[in-house]
Amino acid sequence: MSTNQYIVRDIPRRKFLELSVKGGLVLAASSPLLTQFLSSCSNGSASAAGLGIDKATIDKVIAKALEKGGDFADVYIENRASRQIVMEESKFKSGLYGISQGAGVRVISGNKTGYAYTEEITEANLLRAAEVASYVAKNGKKSTPVNVSDAKRLSFITVKHPLGDIDDAKRIEIMKRADQAAMDYDKRIKMAMINYYDEVRGRVIANSEGIYLQDELPMMFFIVQTMSDDGKARHMSRERLSRHMGFEMFDEFTPEMVAKRAAREAIAMLDAQDAPAGIMDVVMQNGWGGVLVHEAVGHPLEADNIAKKIGAFTGKVGQKVASDVFTMVDDGTIPNARGTINFDDEGTQTKRNVLIEKGVLKGYMSDILSAKQLGMERTGNGRRESYQYIPIPRMTNTFIDKGSSDPAEILSSTKKGIYVQSLSGGSVNPVTGVFNFTCREAYIIENGKKTVPIKGATLIGSCLQVISNIDAVGNDLDFGPGICGKGQNAEVDAGMPTVRIRGINVGGSRA
Amino acid sequence: MDYIKLINSLVSKAKGFGADAAEIYLETGRNLSIQVQDGEIETIEEAYSAGVGFRVIVEGKMGFSHCNELTNDALEDTFKRAVAFAKLTTADPNNVLPDNKDITQVNGLYDAEIIKVSMEKKIKMAIDLEKLAMKDPRITKSSGASYGEGMGEVYIANTNGFLKVYKSTGCSIGVSVVAEKGEQKNTGGESCSRRYFADLKPLGEIAEKASRKAWELLDPVMIPTQKAAVIFDPDVAGSIFGGILAALNGERVLQGASFLKDYLDKPFASPLLTIVDDATRDRGMASAPFDGEGFPTCKQILVEQGVVKAFIYNTIVAKRAGKKSTGNASRGGFTSLPGVGTHNVIVRPGESTPAQIIKATNKGLLLKEVTGYGIDPVTGNFSGGATGFWIENGVIKHPVQGVTIAGNAFDIMKNIDMMGNDLDYNRGMAAPTFRVKEMQIGGK
Repeated sequence: MSTNQYIVRDIPRRKFLELSVKGGLVLAASSPLLTQFLSSCSNGSASAAGLGIDKATIDKVIAKALEKGGDFADVYIENRASRQIVMEESKFKSGLYGISQGAGVRVISGNKTGYAYTEEITEANLLRAAEVASYVAKNGKKSTPVNVSDAKRLSFITVKHPLGDIDDAKRIEIMKRADQAAMDYDKRIKMAMINYYDEVRGRVIANSEGIYLQDELPMMFFIVQTMSDDGKARHMSRERLSRHMGFEMFDEFTPEMVAKRAAREAIAMLDAQDAPAGIMDVVMQNGWGGVLVHEAVGHPLEADNIAKKIGAFTGKVGQKVASDVFTMVDDGTIPNARGTINFDDEGTQTKRNVLIEKGVLKGYMSDILSAKQLGMERTGNGRRESYQYIPIPRMTNTFIDKGSSDPAEILSSTKKGIYVQSLSGGSVNPVTGVFNFTCREAYIIENGKKTVPIKGATLIGSCLQVISNIDAVGNDLDFGPGICGKGQNAEVDAGMPTVRIRGINVGGSRA
Repeated sequence: MDYIKLINSLVSKAKGFGADAAEIYLETGRNLSIQVQDGEIETIEEAYSAGVGFRVIVEGKMGFSHCNELTNDALEDTFKRAVAFAKLTTADPNNVLPDNKDITQVNGLYDAEIIKVSMEKKIKMAIDLEKLAMKDPRITKSSGASYGEGMGEVYIANTNGFLKVYKSTGCSIGVSVVAEKGEQKNTGGESCSRRYFADLKPLGEIAEKASRKAWELLDPVMIPTQKAAVIFDPDVAGSIFGGILAALNGERVLQGASFLKDYLDKPFASPLLTIVDDATRDRGMASAPFDGEGFPTCKQILVEQGVVKAFIYNTIVAKRAGKKSTGNASRGGFTSLPGVGTHNVIVRPGESTPAQIIKATNKGLLLKEVTGYGIDPVTGNFSGGATGFWIENGVIKHPVQGVTIAGNAFDIMKNIDMMGNDLDYNRGMAAPTFRVKEMQIGGK
């Protein structure tokens, strides 16, 4: 079943095409609505999400949703304008422009959730969605909704150059620069694949507790893959850059930087040898490698499985679950980070949530339903891919907090093992806590030194075991962007400092 | 809404909007999803939807746009955006649209009965399935059961003068349960997807399999790092053949990003391996009368007795390769451009029964689950996490968890030395049990 495995994808190029422009299913909208929407897209800064649905209408829809019974109802209205440009083999292969809009009504009655959405956002359709969603509340206990009014939330996303103001020629220019830098890096780079994506997602969130929120989240995602081939070996590398911000992202991180990093990996890995198999010590470089704890610890700490009493960490709050050097945080407030959202898709303010502090389990990540089921606070982790999905507990920016060790010293004190410079991604079974990751760039460690590169090996283990076996945490915390899949996608950051894990099973092809 | 009229009108306006050639892909759908947990409804989701994707070619340059508002104004505006976006891209003489007006006859894609079955019955099926899967005393918890269904229509038209339509349905039911013993926890899940409601497997059979998967791997014993035979169960075939199929993608081959790029008409695998891609199978979950850009589909042999017989193409990639489209334009819906992908993939069964394969194995691992990315289509490198059973002297000894398996695609495929006769069509990738003579296993 799809609920079984949570994955962070490696985003192969074609998959990216499918994932990134998700949206769209629906019926039809009246033209005044349409005009408003399109004009807002074109200047990129409109509060288009309102789409002519006023608060009084939302009150009516929520009242309808709770007519048969139910504890809670909400309305989510979304629109999205996206651009994607694909460059391969130094040619602009295609440009994709997408607009989508839709609105969903959700009813929670006890542990039951009903949900329906429409893409033609009219009062009549919203009322019909409310009717469908209220199916689950038949015979449920009744509650009285509070009329909605504007709520206040902090914002962690600032935009200097709104995406709607950016000429497409500028996007093209960025991609050309990346392609040039990658191809110039080394003759053995045979091809670069550059994927540029940006979107503006407008949201309106209103619920039976009386909140009404509206905002707009810009997002940029830039991926460079390069393929090296020296006649004997090949390697496809990848480097990604993503922020919730405007086009100024490229002021801080130039396309050349991204491309050179990708090209460096592609060349370095041409010399990769077969990896050894079996249990060994692993040093992981800072950054995106944090996806290991995202999978191994983060998913099992999402409150939905805990509420079902099946999660690997069920009933362990207050207990020692990891080594003393291990502190793990999910922080949805890091300015402009890919995993940052000002408030989650249920309207809860995002927060910095310490999940594990010095080895002791502090809490879970919740949405409104699981918080109620567990009698815990709402942590601001109720997220949804789009109006086509219900919100569920998801991570934001998740990381191992920095420790005190010098990263160089962590490596030099490791006699033998594997140095993992970057991971592709991996998956976890949130019930058993068994995870796997695939190395993208890794090296043999001999006598405290990185030596030969090794071919992409899988690392496997179980969550409780791996966090107990982390015995050194560096002071060099860094992050990387990813797409997290849990039946629906969420944009996240994963991070960590350099760490050492004792005894992980490495899937090499030689003894 | 009269979609045909709408599409015809848009096609007729395409040139006026500045497109030399244009394709209109319209998709409608209705989806229902029911999840139950501990005998109660957990979620019910229902939606109707529709959307359009426009692919245009302007002076050899390709642009694409999509929207989910089916009003004339919105559609025309979106179309013009594709034209504007096309101008940014690089001209390529291979950017052409298909012109083959044929449609392949494929039966059993649409079941009119699904929608007539009551919501109450569908909910009850999921609840009953969960109950049946919990029956075994070794099963302690449920991770939920679900029922889902969808029906949709696809319309593809282009300025080469065709408009093709087909409608299809699908339904699925599945369950996931947990077995616990002391501190041990293990999950097992099973599902069944069909075009026709009446074709769904009996609930008892699905429940039994989910339940068994959860408990049969309890009390694992760790094995030493070693080389040994590895037997792939039909459930895990997809984990290894996915990368082979990706390497047969004609675009990857042209880009030099496939480890099979130089193997057309050459052997790379054991003579026991034959792989067929069949878009025409009756009631096949991935069957369709035409592909994601309207080109007629077919049944074709990709690998025959270990020899690569064909790479797969869509229209543009085929033109670049100097070949004909193989009807393998894949499409992730109206929001995306056509890519290249397979339909129903079948690994041709051999003669051995699974029991014979186990019996013939002196020392080996029977795989029940493989994690990881499978074979890397660029390099052929393979590494994954594995669970299953340890076999000694032809007899299953004990469960194994937390080991790794790895190798190179060429070595793995050449070393297939037994092919089972137990082809399982329940998987997207239908394969029988098969054995690889020797692979590296990582353990203690």
